[in-house]
Amino acid sequence: MAEKRQMKAKASVVLKEVGDSTPREEYSILGKPIPRVDARLKVTGEAKYAADIEVADMLWGAIKRSPYPHARILNIDTSKAERLPGVKAVITGKDFSGFKWGWSRETRDEEPLASTKVRYLYEGVAAVAAIDEDIAQEACDLIEVEYKPLPGVFDPFEAMKEGASLVHEDRPGNICVEYHWNFGDVKKAFAESYLVREDTFQTPRMAKGYIEPPAIVVYWPDSNHLVVQAAKGSPYFPYRILSNCFNLPLSNVRIIQPFIGSDFGGTKNDMVNGDFSSAMLAKKSGKPVKIVYTQFDELTTCLRRHPMWVTIKTGVTKDGLLKAIQTKVISDGGAYTRMSPLSNFLTGICMALPYKLPNFKTDVCCYFTNNPSSAAMRGHGLYHTRFAGDVQMDMIAEELGIDPVEMRLRNAIENPKPGKIYETINKLHLATCGVKEGIEKAAEAIRWEEKKKVERVRGNKAYGIGFACGTYLSGTKLSGHNACAAMVRICEDGSVNYITGATDVGQGSDTVTCAMVAEVLGIGLEDIDIKRVDTAHTPVDPGTYGSRVTVLAGEAAINAAKDAKRMLLEVAAKEFGVKPEEMDIKNKKAFVKTHPEMNMPWARLVRMACYTNPGMVIIGRGQSSRGISTYGLADFTTGVGDIGTNYSFTAQAQEVEVDLETGVVKCTDNSVIAHDCGFPLNPPAVDTQVVGGAYHPGVGAALYCEFKMDKGLTLNPNLVDYKLPRAYEAPMTKVIHVITNDPFGPFGAKEASEGSTCTAAPAVINAIHDATGVWIKDLPAKPEKVFWALKEKREKEKK
Amino acid sequence: MKGEPQELKLTVNGKVYELKVRPKTLLNDVLRKDLKLTGTKRGCLESTCGVCTVILDGKAVRSCSILAVQANGHDITTIEGLAKGDKLHPIQEAFVNHGAIECGFCIPGRVMMAKALLDENPNPTREEVRLAMQGVLCADSGYVKQIEAVEIAAEKMRGGE
Amino acid sequence: MKDFEYFAPKTVEESLSLLSQYKGEAKIIAGGQSMLVVMRQGLLAPEYVIDIKGITALDYLTYDEREGLRIGALTTHRAIEKSPIIQKHFRVLSEMETNLATIQTRNWGTIGGNLCHGDPAGDPASVLIALNAKLKLKSLSKERIVEMEEFSMDLLEVNLEPDEMLVEIQVPVPRTHTGIAHEKLMVMQGDAGIVGTAVSIALKPGDGVCEDARIVLSNAASVPLRAIEAEKRLIGKVINDTLLDEAGQIASAGADPPSDVHGSTEYRKEMIKVFVRRAAIKALERAKKG
Repeated sequence: MAEKRQMKAKASVVLKEVGDSTPREEYSILGKPIPRVDARLKVTGEAKYAADIEVADMLWGAIKRSPYPHARILNIDTSKAERLPGVKAVITGKDFSGFKWGWSRETRDEEPLASTKVRYLYEGVAAVAAIDEDIAQEACDLIEVEYKPLPGVFDPFEAMKEGASLVHEDRPGNICVEYHWNFGDVKKAFAESYLVREDTFQTPRMAKGYIEPPAIVVYWPDSNHLVVQAAKGSPYFPYRILSNCFNLPLSNVRIIQPFIGSDFGGTKNDMVNGDFSSAMLAKKSGKPVKIVYTQFDELTTCLRRHPMWVTIKTGVTKDGLLKAIQTKVISDGGAYTRMSPLSNFLTGICMALPYKLPNFKTDVCCYFTNNPSSAAMRGHGLYHTRFAGDVQMDMIAEELGIDPVEMRLRNAIENPKPGKIYETINKLHLATCGVKEGIEKAAEAIRWEEKKKVERVRGNKAYGIGFACGTYLSGTKLSGHNACAAMVRICEDGSVNYITGATDVGQGSDTVTCAMVAEVLGIGLEDIDIKRVDTAHTPVDPGTYGSRVTVLAGEAAINAAKDAKRMLLEVAAKEFGVKPEEMDIKNKKAFVKTHPEMNMPWARLVRMACYTNPGMVIIGRGQSSRGISTYGLADFTTGVGDIGTNYSFTAQAQEVEVDLETGVVKCTDNSVIAHDCGFPLNPPAVDTQVVGGAYHPGVGAALYCEFKMDKGLTLNPNLVDYKLPRAYEAPMTKVIHVITNDPFGPFGAKEASEGSTCTAAPAVINAIHDATGVWIKDLPAKPEKVFWALKEKREKEKK
Repeated sequence: MKGEPQELKLTVNGKVYELKVRPKTLLNDVLRKDLKLTGTKRGCLESTCGVCTVILDGKAVRSCSILAVQANGHDITTIEGLAKGDKLHPIQEAFVNHGAIECGFCIPGRVMMAKALLDENPNPTREEVRLAMQGVLCADSGYVKQIEAVEIAAEKMRGGE
Repeated sequence: MKDFEYFAPKTVEESLSLLSQYKGEAKIIAGGQSMLVVMRQGLLAPEYVIDIKGITALDYLTYDEREGLRIGALTTHRAIEKSPIIQKHFRVLSEMETNLATIQTRNWGTIGGNLCHGDPAGDPASVLIALNAKLKLKSLSKERIVEMEEFSMDLLEVNLEPDEMLVEIQVPVPRTHTGIAHEKLMVMQGDAGIVGTAVSIALKPGDGVCEDARIVLSNAASVPLRAIEAEKRLIGKVINDTLLDEAGQIASAGADPPSDVHGSTEYRKEMIKVFVRRAAIKALERAKKG
């Protein structure tokens, strides 16, 4: 029976103010464009990514991969490989002594290298370390593996059949995880609805799309200590997993982060064959080992976004108000559990946002298949059902004769008045919700009132505008390891070390958390130094996923800065004969609030503090436990409870051009996203994230990206046949900030841009419909699909 | 003889290098492994992503798609060759100041692409900027700020504000 | 990628000598923009590689009012794209090159390398066939001229003896009142065309009757395909919309396009109709201008 995450929902409701009480307009740094702290290193080529790292005596590793998607491993003969000159170590799955790992304790079903059975094509079964890449590859080719191929299942529908071959023998029905939630009474609500509609939508199998393939360098300074430098968005996962794998105490496992070339949720905050292999090869050979994946490895073996089949049934009143939604979700989890419990949980947890929803029922089932594993990707979980929900909303609007913007305005959750909380049917709590303002502003910016009257067809092209609204959880609340901590160390010359375990994978979190520290301390951003995460020195932090860094690591940073500031102000207060709370620090000056002429420069204060108590080390410590407290944790079994500390909201308007003869769809530059991230701490960074979040995973899903499979074989494992969105086709999207100042986020902030990953696909599909009258329900809307839909429509109209 | 190392003489960022490489060695490997110039990235290795882009005799090329031996006697500029000491090239400055850099992985290739464009065409149209940027993939930015940064740099380089 | 023995001849004669010596086991590399991809994938592993990229004598582009265009096989795509001569006299070649892959590929890849790769999805071959081009092939013992449309034999197979090398592309001056256009179906700028068409239309001055037409399809068969039956529909008539539609239908019916992740055979056949018409309309417009 599939194991499920069990978490107790807490009953208490607590409102707490986070961050400064300074009015926003008086911020020195936050809220204005903040140059990224690492931009210069990146633009000069000095920034080192994992594949750039070279260590003396380093060997190169290569992985031997299975030619079958499902097979028993009968025998592996590594003798020829071992004899090849230049080879220093060869390992197989057996070297790991039966160790299994997984994203959570209950789901440890995957081996570092397969030892008894392979479950997806190209799964690693052995690895070699040699003096150069060529020899390592040649040695891999010399490893002889005897397999017994097994019948496989390659999509959920095959997997669920009676008598289907089992991917995991102990998982009957190939069920990876399932959820059944029920809120209110959907049956009654449907019966009372003016209109009920049921449609099935499909989201495609997608790659993460980052351009930096996974890479890792591992060395053992001695037999009890392990050092890893890898492209990881969350170093604390490999930290724990490698500690378990090699039976080392955590104190002896050191993960040092280089710069990371994006993450997007899976693979880089999780493990791949290459990670374990390089560690074991380094152990066996006594030398550092480096493994760098190619895009081919990435596109064929690394984690993918779940393809999902979403059947959604919606009942509305005559005025188009939602009465009930019932969803059935089937997803393809691939060969191993990985993060599927979370991905599938997320499909339903926010269904009661961003629109008011009184009744909701969902049945979700994720199946194992002999495909590469599925896991998180930006817009994790929510995007699939939001796509279905927002496209169907337009279908319903059309049936009822209601304008799609009006439809959304009627259903949108109102922004709660200050001090008030909106609670959804499944007990999510909102202090702020800017979706209504967002849709109004987006519609206005795109000039909907004017454009909706314009003739859609011009020559052999048609133009249409589509809308969508979305939400995303911010500051994910999961369990103990989601808490995070920070330290702020004031050096005696006034410079500051900000020490965090949070990882910036390009979203700008380093910059914004440094800015928070500088803002709280009252000094400049240039005075703050942030180092790469190093688990030997930095406090635990789960890293970049779940839209948590700005909100949770931010809170820890603020608390650490406040702690350091308190110590300094105690010293300053003594000097001026006042109480510490009567003083503040701004613009690098400590001053008495009521008598600002009584002040002292920052540098002098720091020196005084350090020398007054000789050897006094000023280290502020802070933590955030918002990730697990406040409202209590969400319950995976029932779907009740907050999954986020707060929630962002997005409203998108996108125009498309459809070539009526070929079906090719292009986004035009008429593109607007209104985004409520509470308070944009670094507006240009929010802009890029929002625009990119909509374009790459959103428009990518809507128009371009799809793995085509044939019995476990990826037919398009390269970036020409699997199309990643490019610059020529990119819309010059305008971002509008909807400012709601959320009390649960640091300085009022909520996550930025996961919301737009959920709105882009439905906005594009709705735009195609507005332009041509056709509905494309299974993504991507590739030209051929649109072409046949247009043809079918023309033929229907002739009759 | 098969795989016999060939003499290679390259000028990279104004400096002359003499080395011997096996014929199948890619230019990307020589730059990164032999010359330790890791600013140029290694990406897809299948001529599609463009993060390996460098400038060869004034033209943008994919270093993963050229045998090192073919670059023999040629003049190469990589990202490391752009800044003059502490002073960034206007294109680099524009990318930094305009917030066009996120994870940064595509930036070296992209900046070199932009440099090749602006050296050849100091006043490109937006269409021409898009065509140049088409050759280097990004995964996260949506390309908007990058396109704008190139335009800002172009104006600065023409003597504008 | 497997190791190989490497030669970098400086002259055409040297390369032909090497080809003659190692024929069958040797492969020529020019820009390598097609070849390195397949070598890295392990689909091609020649024992001997003859690198002709350094033969500057094959990098030229000349035009003569009577003889027409002479393009050395090692002229890069980018040079063709940007050449003022091309833009003035054979604009369609520049347009075709602008849409070919990305700038980096065009900066190093050569027209000769592209043609010898023999990809039926390739753009240059179809346009050159529409232009009635010829290729000069050389070996140590002989030199021959081959019609562009006879160069492609099969998927990735061209009419080159193991000891032969392509040295020059010759494009005759089109007669007056000829218009040529190239259109291809791209999802993203720079894509290989899901289908592509190159159309050349020559009109009789005065009554505007079509005197000659060439319709060449790419990615529609295992070689660039001349839709001869479709051409016949246009020749001798004043072209109108109906005829264009018919030509498209006929071209489509005669094609055997592949089915892959970018499009099914059925879809490609529909698109051939669309693109024959689009390219023909443009060619016709240009022909009318003289």
